[in-house]
Formats: sequence, C-alpha cells, structure tokens
Amino acid sequence: MKMSMKGIAINTFKESARNKMFYLLVFFGILFALSSKLISFLTLGDAMKVLKDTGLAAVNFFCVLIAIFTGINLVYKEIEKKTIFNILSKPVSRDQFIIGKFLGLALTMLTALAAMAGIFFLFVWMSGGGFDLKIILYFFMLFLELLVIVAISLLFSSFTTPILSFIFTVSLYLIGHIMWTFNEFKTVLRVPFWKHFVQGLYYLLPNLDKFNIKNEVVLNTAFNPWTILFSVLYALAYILALLAVTILIFRRREFQ
Amino acid sequence: MIPGRLLAVIFMAGLLLAAGMQNRYDATVNYFGDRATFVSLPSGKALKTLSFGYSNLAADLLFIWSIQFYSATYLTNRFDFLERVYDTITDITPQYKEPYIIGSLIMVYEARDIPMALRLLDKGSRHNPDEWFFDQDAGYYCFKFLKDYPKAEFYYQRAAAKPGAPAFVKRWKAHLVYLNDDPGAAYRMWLEIYENAGDAMEKAAAFNHLYQIKSEIDTGLLEEKIARFRENFRRWPSSLVELIKARLVSALPSDFSGNDYIYDPEKGTVTAARIFRWKRR
Repeated sequence: MKMSMKGIAINTFKESARNKMFYLLVFFGILFALSSKLISFLTLGDAMKVLKDTGLAAVNFFCVLIAIFTGINLVYKEIEKKTIFNILSKPVSRDQFIIGKFLGLALTMLTALAAMAGIFFLFVWMSGGGFDLKIILYFFMLFLELLVIVAISLLFSSFTTPILSFIFTVSLYLIGHIMWTFNEFKTVLRVPFWKHFVQGLYYLLPNLDKFNIKNEVVLNTAFNPWTILFSVLYALAYILALLAVTILIFRRREFQ
Repeated sequence: MIPGRLLAVIFMAGLLLAAGMQNRYDATVNYFGDRATFVSLPSGKALKTLSFGYSNLAADLLFIWSIQFYSATYLTNRFDFLERVYDTITDITPQYKEPYIIGSLIMVYEARDIPMALRLLDKGSRHNPDEWFFDQDAGYYCFKFLKDYPKAEFYYQRAAAKPGAPAFVKRWKAHLVYLNDDPGAAYRMWLEIYENAGDAMEKAAAFNHLYQIKSEIDTGLLEEKIARFRENFRRWPSSLVELIKARLVSALPSDFSGNDYIYDPEKGTVTAARIFRWKRR
C-alpha cells in the first residue's frame, strides 16, 4: 500500500474513532447485546436461542448505524471544510483518496465490530452457550455486509449531501434485505419488459441478505460452505464495483 | 388572592369529584371481559419482509408477546386468533421449534382445540422432518384427549421411525398397538423392546406389558376351550388339566413369569396372577 493511501486510511480511522457518536453507538450496541439476557428470561423453552437472536440483532443494528453515520459524512466533510484541497494538493491522487477513505472506514468497522462481538461472544459463553464458533462466522459475514454498506455510503457521500446519502444508503440497506421478494415479484409480472427490469434490479442492487446467517447460527442448522464462499466473493466483487464507480464520480467532481 | 382554606376545599372537592367520575367510568367499562384482541396481524411472509433481515428477532418478540398474551386468563376471547398467531410465528422462522410446542400446549390445555394443535404440530413435523417430538406430542394428544388410538398409533409410528427418537417413544408405539386390539403385533414389539432393553426400568416395563398381553391371549383361548368343554359335557371342567384329557388343548399355557393361570371351576373363568387394567377407556 502506498504511504499516502495508508496515511489517509489511518487518518480516517483516527477521525472516526475521535467521534463521540462512534463510542455512543458502540456503547449502546454492547448494552443492548447484554440486555438480551433480560429478554431471554421472558421466553419459554430455549432461552439461549432468544439470547443469541437478540444479541446478534443488537450488534448488527448498531454496527450498521455506525457504518452509515460514519460513511455518509466522510467525503462530504472534507469537501465542506475545504480540507480536500490540502489533501489533493499533496502527491495523493483522487483514487488513492477514495480507497484510503474506504480502508480507514473498514478499519473503524472492524474495531467497532471486534469490541461488540468480543464482549457478546464472552457473554454467550458465560451464559452457558459454550464457545459457539458459528457466532464468529456470523460476525465475519456481518463484517462483509458492513463493508458493502460502507462502500455504498462512501459512494453517495462522494456526490451528495449527508442527508441524501443517509436516505439513499438506508433505502439500499432495507432493499438489500428483501431482495428475495424480487424473485417472487417477477413471477407475477406479465409484461416481459418489466420482468427484465426487475431482473436487472435484482442483479444491480446489493443483496445483503446473503450475509445474514442468523438462522444457521441460532437454530444450529447446517451451513452450506459454497453459499458462504459465494457470499464472500459476491461481497468482494460488489465492493470493487462500488469503489470503481465512486472513483469515477469523484474524478469528475470539481471543487470550489 | 384566594384564601388557603378555600384552595384546600377546592383540592378536596376536586379529588372527590375525580374519584366519583372514575367510579362512574369503571361502571361503563368491562375490564375483564371481551376486548378487541387484535387490530390486525400481518402474515408471516409480510412480517418477514418488513423485518428487513431481523426476522429471527421478529419471531422471538412475537413469540414472547404470545406467551404473555395467552397467560392473561381474564381475557375471555383471547383464543380468537390463536392459530393465526402461531402460524405467523412459524411462517417467519419455520425451524424455530418452541412455538410449535408451546403453541400446541396452549391450544390443547387452554383453548381445548385438539385438531388445531395437531395442525400446528403437523406443520412443525413438516418443516423439521428429523425431529421426533412433534409427532410424539401429536400422538399423545390423540391418545389422551381424542381417544383416537389409530391416529395416536400413526403419530407414534412416525415419531419412533425418526433418528434419535428415545426408547419411550417406541414403548408408546407398542402400547398403542396393544390398545388398538392387535395383541400379536404388540407382543412382537414389546418382545423386541424387552430383548434390547437399555436398563432395568425399561426391561421391567416391557416385562409387564408382555405379561399382560400374553395373559390376555392365553386366557381368551382357554376360556374359549372351557366354553366348548361346557357345551360337550354340560359342566365346567374341574381343573384345566381336563381340557387336555378332553383333547381340547395339547398343553396348558403358563403366564410370562412361567406360572400357571388361576382357574375358578365354579364360574369357569381363567385369570392371571397380575392384571393391568390398561384398556379402561
């Protein structure tokens, strides 16, 4: 990695880590994950299932919030505060700037996730759930999902305001989790054009439910290793595509 | 300025008036009667879609809510949408096993609707084909509440055939075959359980059943021969040995412990030393 890109990545990480909202969200993520114990008391039967469900959902939700809130501001803030001129006046290309920002955000997400996941993993163990290695696989898949979300928010952050970035990213996040309905929707359409249109959207929009393996973790059902492998490759390919389009947009931007 | 005493009087009067109004209000409201239990409950598929990747959590929360709701015994119409609620939960996560079990318990013991419970358990069995306990529960409800032994036997057969089914499921299956008046098949099943028993308790249980079934078969046969003896000789045989002398039987059977059956020459009846009244229906 070139030094300039590394510098941007580290600076992005430091900047995100200095943000009070980052700590607040991590704190609430941990708090909600631990409060899953209280919710599990209310159920009958397998309380560990409810504990894992609630805890994983809490970690997932707060990590997504961190990814969105940190991602949507990053590039916009640099432009708004005019610090972009300082950075780009140095021997740093716009491509390196975007990739550095992405890597810095990825490091931020890794830190937040590691903090929440580590505590929750120990919590499950202390609650009698044993060393459930499937949880680690779940967090790995969640990390991939977060990287995709970060790449999406970075894309929107490169050409629009934080509010619009927030709306677009959240919309894509929500759509990304109901992509399975597109296949069903397609079957009720009669006009071939709309069928192809929906089919096109299905491949164009991010399918985030691929990374959701909560069912397999909490219900202890079997994993299909091929599904996991294809999900990993999908994440990498999608992130590459998003970064490419972000760079293309960012190259054409003029700063005043 | 309003005097302090007047304020105190206004305060007391206001409080009394409010209490009176509350009392009147209570008279118009039936807190413990029927209540609109639901405004609407979306289908499982809709909830799955609307949960945006948190479908497990949605199912958990709905399940926890249902436990609290169906525990509110003062609501007289709480079972109106019972099947819909558990169908929704199990549509969201069909592999979540607890809602099938708890839902069917509520349907059986609270709502007293056994067919509804059987439908839910059938769904559980369909979505979790390797689990034996849905069929076991269904079989038990058929046996206990419907007294439908062929149906109970069907469920126990299915449960016993599943991997990991515990030994007691096979014992139930054999018992239901016995209750369905197929002593020959039941005897073979219990003999297999007896020969492969994992512990003393299981062996003792199998022994008792074999004892009972064998004695029912044998005493039935002996009483048939005794009746024929009476037809031929116009009297009861003085002992069972007379049946051999009259060439009605070649040898006298003994009970599963190896002891002779007890014969009453005055009534012509044969009984075993121990009688288990399992067929009281």
